[in-house]
Amino acid sequence: MSANRTAGLLTALLGGLMALPLAAQTPALQTLDECRGLRHHGKLAEAQTCFGRLTASSNPYLRAEGLWGIERYQEANDQFRDLIKQNPKNADYRVRWGHLFMERFNDQEANGLFEEAIKIDKENGQAYLGIAEIESEGFSKHAVEAAQKAADLDPKLFEAHEQLAYLALEDNDEDTAAKQADQALAISGEALDAMAIHAAIDFLHDKNDSPWPDRILKVNPAYGEAYSTAGHFYVINRRYEEGIRAYRKALELNPRLWEARMQLGLNLMRLGEDTEARQQLEECYNAKYQSSETVNSLRLLDKYKDFNTYKTPTTILRLHKKEADLLRPYFESEMERAIATYEKKYQMKLTGPVQVEVYPDHEDFAVRTMGMPGLGALGVTFGAVVAMDSPSGRPPGSFHWASTMWHELSHVYVLQATNNRVPRWFTEGLAVYEETAVAPDWGDRLDPEVIHAIQHKLLLPVAELDRGFIRPSYPSQVIVSYFQGGKICSYIAEKWGYSKLLDMVHSFAKLESTPDVFQKDLGISTTDFDKQFLAWLDAQTKVTTDHFDEWRDKLKIMVANERAKEYDDVIRIGNAIRDWYPDYVEPGSVYELMADAYTAKGDKDSARKQLEKYSEVGGRDPKLVEQLATLEEQAGEPKKAAAALDRLNYIYPEDQELHKRLGDLWLAQNNVPGAIREYQALLALKPLDQATSHYRLAQALRMANRLDQARDEVLLALEAAPGFKPAQKLLLEIAK
Amino acid sequence: MKPVAHALLRAALALVPTLVISNAATFYVTVAGLGGEPDYEQRFASQAQEIDKLLHASSGDAKVTTLYGPQATKANVQNALAQVARDAKPNDAFVLMLIGHGSFDGYDYKINLPGPDLSGVELGASLDRIACTRQLVVNMTSASGGSRASLEKASRVVITATKSGNEKNATVFARFWVEALRDPAADIDKNEVVSALEAFIYAETKTAQFYETQKRLATEHPILEDTGQGDGERKPSPENGEGLKAAQFALLRIGATQVAANTPEKKALLEKRDSLEEQIDKLKYEKAAMPADEYKKQLQNLLIELAKTQAELDK
Repeated sequence: MSANRTAGLLTALLGGLMALPLAAQTPALQTLDECRGLRHHGKLAEAQTCFGRLTASSNPYLRAEGLWGIERYQEANDQFRDLIKQNPKNADYRVRWGHLFMERFNDQEANGLFEEAIKIDKENGQAYLGIAEIESEGFSKHAVEAAQKAADLDPKLFEAHEQLAYLALEDNDEDTAAKQADQALAISGEALDAMAIHAAIDFLHDKNDSPWPDRILKVNPAYGEAYSTAGHFYVINRRYEEGIRAYRKALELNPRLWEARMQLGLNLMRLGEDTEARQQLEECYNAKYQSSETVNSLRLLDKYKDFNTYKTPTTILRLHKKEADLLRPYFESEMERAIATYEKKYQMKLTGPVQVEVYPDHEDFAVRTMGMPGLGALGVTFGAVVAMDSPSGRPPGSFHWASTMWHELSHVYVLQATNNRVPRWFTEGLAVYEETAVAPDWGDRLDPEVIHAIQHKLLLPVAELDRGFIRPSYPSQVIVSYFQGGKICSYIAEKWGYSKLLDMVHSFAKLESTPDVFQKDLGISTTDFDKQFLAWLDAQTKVTTDHFDEWRDKLKIMVANERAKEYDDVIRIGNAIRDWYPDYVEPGSVYELMADAYTAKGDKDSARKQLEKYSEVGGRDPKLVEQLATLEEQAGEPKKAAAALDRLNYIYPEDQELHKRLGDLWLAQNNVPGAIREYQALLALKPLDQATSHYRLAQALRMANRLDQARDEVLLALEAAPGFKPAQKLLLEIAK
Repeated sequence: MKPVAHALLRAALALVPTLVISNAATFYVTVAGLGGEPDYEQRFASQAQEIDKLLHASSGDAKVTTLYGPQATKANVQNALAQVARDAKPNDAFVLMLIGHGSFDGYDYKINLPGPDLSGVELGASLDRIACTRQLVVNMTSASGGSRASLEKASRVVITATKSGNEKNATVFARFWVEALRDPAADIDKNEVVSALEAFIYAETKTAQFYETQKRLATEHPILEDTGQGDGERKPSPENGEGLKAAQFALLRIGATQVAANTPEKKALLEKRDSLEEQIDKLKYEKAAMPADEYKKQLQNLLIELAKTQAELDK
């Protein structure tokens, strides 16, 4: 938010100035007020001069504010430190110092100072407001609580209402946002950020004739912050291009709005406009606006030299050089398959190529997405650009990359079909639905957190489901909301037909609200829908939710029995409880324990059946799936063995043994193109045994009658191991 | 697997066109020390047992001594080494493999054994009494890097699971060393003999992959030293001077390697084969300085000739 927030604090700071001689104090106060007034009214150069004068003040607080005003942050910081030493009981100085830290990218220190201020003065609304601003950056529910507390403590603190309006609009609660903005304006007719909220609401509704920008610019003709606010709301609603335009407008009004410039850079980067993104971010950096986002993003841009880019008319694929040879065939073919599928399903063609970027380092992906490390996501879509984790960036078995990619590519279509005007719950729900539509074992399983949410009736009404994504009220609510969104789409497809989901896409494109869309396209109110949906979901999950606690207790007994080698008990309990919660395929699942028990008893056939079920339900542990493939081979089911191993290509293709085995199986089944792909994947992983790997590929190429390539491969095998007899034999045969 | 490893192996093998496969005997001593916990106790013992089995399967007349569990005492280890010192001749080869927990106090290394531990200095002294001019010590214990200084010798290849005595966590290197003896893929040049260098490259690569795949910080960095001095190398190569002796050291035969020719015709074919192999090695060294097409043409001709010769030999 903006500097005009500081005005309200000025009166409070009077207390801290009381020690000054009256003659020195009053003109100085007027000067600080004047400086802020100049800034508030857009007279930025004059404001700078005014703040510059303050730096010569005999009052240390005014010196600190002056130095801050002319961007001599380090000296301002030193002044505040001295000030706090001299006035350890002054809460307001701590609040101001906290705001300085916030402005200079150190939220932790800022938060500490706000907390200290509250310890000194429990009724310090400004301190609560500071905490609300910090919490809002992480979309925490505590932001609302802190802002409300600030408003309650200080009825004249219009900034608290501005903050509440901002938070409500983030939750897509436009009514509350507008009401809070009006409350701020009732306290201060020049509450610029309140006006900016009204403007943002109009912009989000495509009202280009909104009166609010003029009102804002009348007060402050350089108030680019209003457009930054609009940019923020465009971006969180996935309207990146409009967000970029808003940030550009902000910078036209005030080129020194570094936060806006940084956001412009980050969003350009999100849309793949790397050249200009670098230029904008470097400008921030050179101006000492070296926030973590700026620095991290510039570092990531430097890393792009380590990536290869592959283009087709419909796809752009960016892969790290170290894994490009391995991943390219799998990713390209899945991109093409997804595009072909979605073109039919969504009845549209994309206007340009879709770009997929794959990051082996999860933190690079996080920086690509947020400018900061620590993102708890697997993939993100920005318009037609998808960024995602590489399978190598996650522990084996924990990540189905193809499912994630199809999820994100669904967003690309829905965002383009709606011109980015779609509520988060719907596009996420549809993307979740599409994952399992590809194959039942794709997508996410019903996990214990979701079961808990169903048991305790924590699912949100559909009209409020966006809140579960943006500002979760309990730790797993985002995951629960994804699940709920997906199930809502499943229910709609099942009861009304898939075409209704498409109708909803088009209705959302017209900026219709969720209740309106439900009424129009499904002929039902959201309230009635919620009742029907929950009944449907309860029926689907009843066995699991009813037996969950007992299932968990018995699973513990199974583990103990397995350790004690009491395999008959493991099998007996397993048979009783497995289907109470069939979706549980995490380590130590009933399937795994039963397969181990059957194996220990020498009953390979029953072990195989457990693992078949495990795989069918969506179990992804490469070791268990490889074990299944072995059991299938031993049971004389090589096709099933190959199918099991092929599943792993979409989960963890970084395993040499997988490609070797699958290549052999497919070659034996005369799936020569498949075998060639697998042996090429094996070689891309740079195996120790180069000779055998090249030899296998040569064999497959020869079967495909690609003799020149087969000869090249066998020569590579023999170059590594001239005495390798099978390769010698093959060379002689090819040479004939 | 890093491509540089292949380059170094080819380079090292090229310096030694024919791996030393003689009729001299190879003496093997394998020791699995104290586990401390049942899991480790069982793991160490089973690794030693598997090595024992593989060595016996490789060569019926291999001279193998394997000590694990309560048998792996300091006295028994020293007795086994003394026995080798009595029996082995200078042209024989000797391999010592140590599995278990080790410790390093900043001065000396010790392997944990039932009863008194055995120090690196004591071990070095026992090994020095063995006449074999080709010796390989594979110390796979934690902190094994601390033993290197006591074991280094010009005639000895020393492999340690850890870079220094300060890498004190239990190691996984032993698991992959055993795998190298079992997996034909470890025989990179397909000459049906796993050399010490090939086994090291295999185990080192798999160890690194283990930590990478598990997303864990690597707590062991295997090292090979075969010049008798220095700290050894994780990636031995002609450039750093390590790996030459290890490439020559036949650790395990995995096929019916032809060691002798019993007719004049076969002798001539063997000579021709050796000559072709030398020409191939020479050509590979000249690869960078040649046009790619020319290299490929010459390589193909030599390889076809070699394949034909081998086919004749195998008749």
